[in-house]
Amino acid sequence: MQSVSESAAAGRPKTSITLMVNGQRHTLDVEPRWLLSDVLRHQLGLTGTHVGCEQGVCGSCTVLLDGQPQRSCLMFAVQAEGHDITTVEGLTPEQGLSPLQAAFERHHALQCGFCTPGMIVTVEALLRENADPDEETIREVLSGNICRCTGYQSIVAAVQDAARVRRESGAAKLEVAAKGQNEAAGGEQA
Amino acid sequence: MMQGPLKPQFTGARVTRLEDARLLRGRGRYLDDIDVPGTLHVAFVRSNRPAARIVSIDVEEALAVPGVYTVWTAEDCGITMYTERYDVGQPVLAKDEVRFVGEAVAAVFAEDRYVAEDAAERVRVVYHPLPPVLGFDEALSDEGRRVHAHRANLFHHTEHQTEGFAEAFASAPHRAQATFVTHRQTGVPMEPRGCMAQLDAATGRLTVYVSHQSPHQFRSQLTELLQMPENQIRVIVPEVGGAFGIKAMLYPEYLVVADAARRLGRPVKWVSDRTESLLADAHARDNRHEVEVAFDEEGRILAVRDHVFGDTGAYPFLGFPGAVGEAGWATSMLTGPYKIPHVSITVDCVFSNKAPEGAYRGVGGPVGAQVQEGIVDLVARHLGKDAADVRRVNFIRDEDFPYQTATGNVYDPGSYAESMEQALALIDYERFRREQAELRRQGRYLGIGICTFVEPSAGAESEAGSTPYEAASIRIEPTGTVTAALGLGPSGQGHETTMAQLIADQLGVDVKDVVVMHGDTDSAPFGGGTGGSRSGTIGGGAALRASQEMRQRLMKLAAHLLEAAEEDVELVDGHAQVKGVPARAYSVRDLARIAYTDVARLPEGMQPGLEVVVRYQPPLSTTYSNGTHVALVEVDTQTGFVRVLDYVVVNDCGRLINPMIVEGQIHGGVAQGIGSAFLEELRYDDSGQLVTTSLMDYLLPAATDVPRMRVTHIETPSANVGGFKGMGEGSLIAAPPALAGAVSDALAPFGVFVTEIPVHPQQILEWVQGRVHSA
Ligand code: FES
Ligand code: FES
Repeated sequence: MQSVSESAAAGRPKTSITLMVNGQRHTLDVEPRWLLSDVLRHQLGLTGTHVGCEQGVCGSCTVLLDGQPQRSCLMFAVQAEGHDITTVEGLTPEQGLSPLQAAFERHHALQCGFCTPGMIVTVEALLRENADPDEETIREVLSGNICRCTGYQSIVAAVQDAARVRRESGAAKLEVAAKGQNEAAGGEQA
Repeated sequence: MMQGPLKPQFTGARVTRLEDARLLRGRGRYLDDIDVPGTLHVAFVRSNRPAARIVSIDVEEALAVPGVYTVWTAEDCGITMYTERYDVGQPVLAKDEVRFVGEAVAAVFAEDRYVAEDAAERVRVVYHPLPPVLGFDEALSDEGRRVHAHRANLFHHTEHQTEGFAEAFASAPHRAQATFVTHRQTGVPMEPRGCMAQLDAATGRLTVYVSHQSPHQFRSQLTELLQMPENQIRVIVPEVGGAFGIKAMLYPEYLVVADAARRLGRPVKWVSDRTESLLADAHARDNRHEVEVAFDEEGRILAVRDHVFGDTGAYPFLGFPGAVGEAGWATSMLTGPYKIPHVSITVDCVFSNKAPEGAYRGVGGPVGAQVQEGIVDLVARHLGKDAADVRRVNFIRDEDFPYQTATGNVYDPGSYAESMEQALALIDYERFRREQAELRRQGRYLGIGICTFVEPSAGAESEAGSTPYEAASIRIEPTGTVTAALGLGPSGQGHETTMAQLIADQLGVDVKDVVVMHGDTDSAPFGGGTGGSRSGTIGGGAALRASQEMRQRLMKLAAHLLEAAEEDVELVDGHAQVKGVPARAYSVRDLARIAYTDVARLPEGMQPGLEVVVRYQPPLSTTYSNGTHVALVEVDTQTGFVRVLDYVVVNDCGRLINPMIVEGQIHGGVAQGIGSAFLEELRYDDSGQLVTTSLMDYLLPAATDVPRMRVTHIETPSANVGGFKGMGEGSLIAAPPALAGAVSDALAPFGVFVTEIPVHPQQILEWVQGRVHSA
C-alpha cells in the first residue's frame, strides 16, 4: 500500500492560511482548490453549514462573510483569508436558541432541517439591515435558499415573528437577548 | 378494552418539535457529517452514453494519481441487483454494456473526494455506441432495439375491465377523449444521497450509515446481496435531510461502498453531488394516459377507458420498478372520489435508456389525480357546465361508504363532497366566477382549479417495502424517563415528536421526557420504515398499543403497591393514584425504581423491569384520507407566466396527532406540486443525454413561487387504532391537477385545456398567440 500522506505531499502542495471563523482564529493547511464549505465542515468540524448542490443555487451552504450572506460552496477557503466568517454555530447561543431560531421552532419553520442553517444565516443578515421587512421582501430574500420540505410559509411567518420580537425588545445586542427570550418563547405555541 | 387517558394533553395539540433545537443549532448529524479518520472517499466514473458496449476500461492513469488507493470496475465488484420477475439485473458497476447516462462504470477510492474526482477523470472507458431507446413508442415498436438483449422492452402488461364496460361505454350519450402526460420528475431532497461503511474493529461487524427511509429493509437487502449474516450488519440512518421516496430505494453505489469497506478494511464514504443526484437518483412520473370518458347529459361519468404507458428507464429498482408503481397507483385510484361504475384499464411499462425510475412522493397519485380531475373538467367543458357542479353530480356520498370502486378498492368513510364545499366557500367560488368574467373583459386571465383527492395510506405495501405492521418498543428507565424505539425512517416528518405525544399521553408523563429512537437496526425493532404515508398511522398505532401495554403494567404495579383494585387506579401527571385521592399515589419514577431495583415488592408473576415490544398491524389493509385543493391562478398571456394568487386546502386525514406538523406536510407538498405543474422536468435530448443536471436547469420552487396557503381540517376517523389516516402524499397528489386545472380554466377563452405537465411559459405563449379570445 502506498503511503497516502507522502504521495499527497508530493502531488498537491498545501498553503497555510488563517481563517477567522465565529470570532476564533484558525491556522490551517489547505489546498488552494478546497472550497470554503469543505474546509468549514471537514477541517473545522463546523458541520452546521450544509452542502446541497455545490452549484450556487440551493443556499444551504450560506455563511456570513463580513456580515454579508455568501455561498461557501462558491468560494475557495484561501479567498476567505482576511475576512470575518460567521456560520450558524456562531449565531447560536451557548444554551438554547437565538430569538430567530426560537421563532423557527414556534412556527414549525423546519422539517428535515437541512436548509435550516442557511436560512438562519440569511435571515439574520436580513434582520440586521431591515427591522421590519414585509412579506414580499422576505420572500425575495429567501428566494436564494431552497427548502424542499416546508413550502416556505412557516419560514416567512417565523421571520415576521422574529422581526417583531426583535423590534419590541429593541434588541441591539442579539446575544444578550437570546437567553432570556428563548426561555420565554421556547416550547410555546404560535 | 383499555381506556385512554381522560384528557389527552399532547395528542392533537400543536406541540413544537423535539427535533428542532439540534437542527436549528446546526447540530443535526447528517450522513456527510460523519467523519472517520482514514476514510476512503469514492468518486464514481459514470457513463456519458445512453447505450453502448463497453469495449475497454483503462484505470492505469487513475491509479497513478497520488492519493488514490484503488479503482474498481465490474471485475472487482460483481454484485448484481437482480429482479427475477423480469429477468433483469443491474450490475452495481456496469458490466459489458451501459444503459443510461449516469450509470456507474467504475469506482475510484482515494484519500479525499477531490483526489477521487481527479482520478475518475483519468479512467478511460472506450465505448461502442448503440442506438438508444428513449420513449414508450420507440421501446414498443418492432424496429426498436432491445434495452436488454435477452428480453423484450415491454416488461409489464396488465388489463382490467369491469363487466359491462363495453355496453356502458357504447350506450353513453356523450364521449370525449384526452391524452394526459406527466414528464420525468424527481424528489430532490436537499440533502443528497450518501452512504458510509466501516468494519467494527472489535467485533468484525459491518456498520453501514445510509441516508435512507427504511433501515431494516436496507439491512435485509444488504444481507442478501453481500451474503452476510443479518446479525453481522448494523445499519444506522442518521439525520436525513429530506427523502420523498427516492431514499427508499436500494442504489448500486451503496453496495459498492459496503462491499469495499469489508474487503478493503477501511472506512469508505460516498456522498452524491447534485449532478449525480439528478442523473442517478430514482426518477419518477414519465407516463402517458390515453383516456376516453363516457358521460350523460348531467355530467354523470359512466365509464372511463385508460391506456397507460410507463417508462421505467434502464433497470427495475429492487422491489419497486417505478413505472409499475406509478401506473399501478394511478390506475387503482383513477376514479378518485367519484362514483364511476365502469373502467377499462390497460397498462404497458417498458424499459428504455434513461435512468431507472423509483418512488417520488405520491408515486402515481398525482398522475391518477390529473386524469381523474382532467376528465371531470373535460366533461364540464363539453357540456358547458360548471366544474364544481359536475363534481357534485359524481361524488361518492356519505351513505355510500364503505365504497367499492370499479378498480377494486374499498374506501373507508371520508368527506369528499364536504371538503370541496368547504374549500369553495373558503375561496369564495361564486364571487370569483363573477369577477373572472369581468376580468376577462379587461384582458386578465384568472382561473380556478379544483382537485378533490383520495389518498390511499398506511397500506400493506409501499416503496418502503411490504411490511404491513410497525414495531414499537418502550422502556421506562429506572429513573422514570421513557425511551421508545420504532422501525421508522423519518426524514423531517417529526416522528420523534408525534410518537412521543402519543406515548406521553398514555403514560401520563411530559412529552419532553420521552425519547424516540429510530434508524439504528441494533436498537430499533424490525419495522417497515417510512413511505407510503404509513408512519403516523401504523407507527402511531404501534406507539399507542405499546404505551397502552406499558400503562397497564404501571397500573397493575401501582394497584398492588396501593392495595387497591386496578380499576380504582388512575395515571395523572406522572403519578399513579387511587382515583381522586392524590395523597395515595406513586410517581412513575417510583414505580420504575421499584420495578428495577426493589423487585421484592412486585406483584406475583410480574417480570422485573419495564419494557415492552409491540407490533401493530392495522385492521384495514388501507385507509383513505381525502381533501380538496383549490388553486387560483393568473396567467400572463404576454409572458406566459403563471402566478398562484390563492390556494386553499381542506384536508381530512382522520384524527390529527399534531395539526402543526400536518399543515407543514401539506405546505411542502403543495410547493412540490407547483414545481411539478410549472417548473420541474428532467429532460433528455434526442441523443439520450440528460440536459437538466443542475438546479439551474431542474428548477425547484423558491419562496417567491409559492403562495400563502390556507389549510383547514375535517376529521373523519379511520377504524385503525387512534383513528389516524396517513397524509404524507395527498398534498403533492392534489396540487398538480388543481394547478393545471386552474390554467385550463384561466385560458378557457382560448380553448386551452392542459393535459401535459409541467406547463412552461413558452407553451402558454404558443397556445394563446394567434388564437382569438372567444369569451
Ligand atoms: S451548496 Fe452552495 S448553494 Fe447549494
Ligand atoms: S426543512 Fe427540509 S429542506 Fe428545508
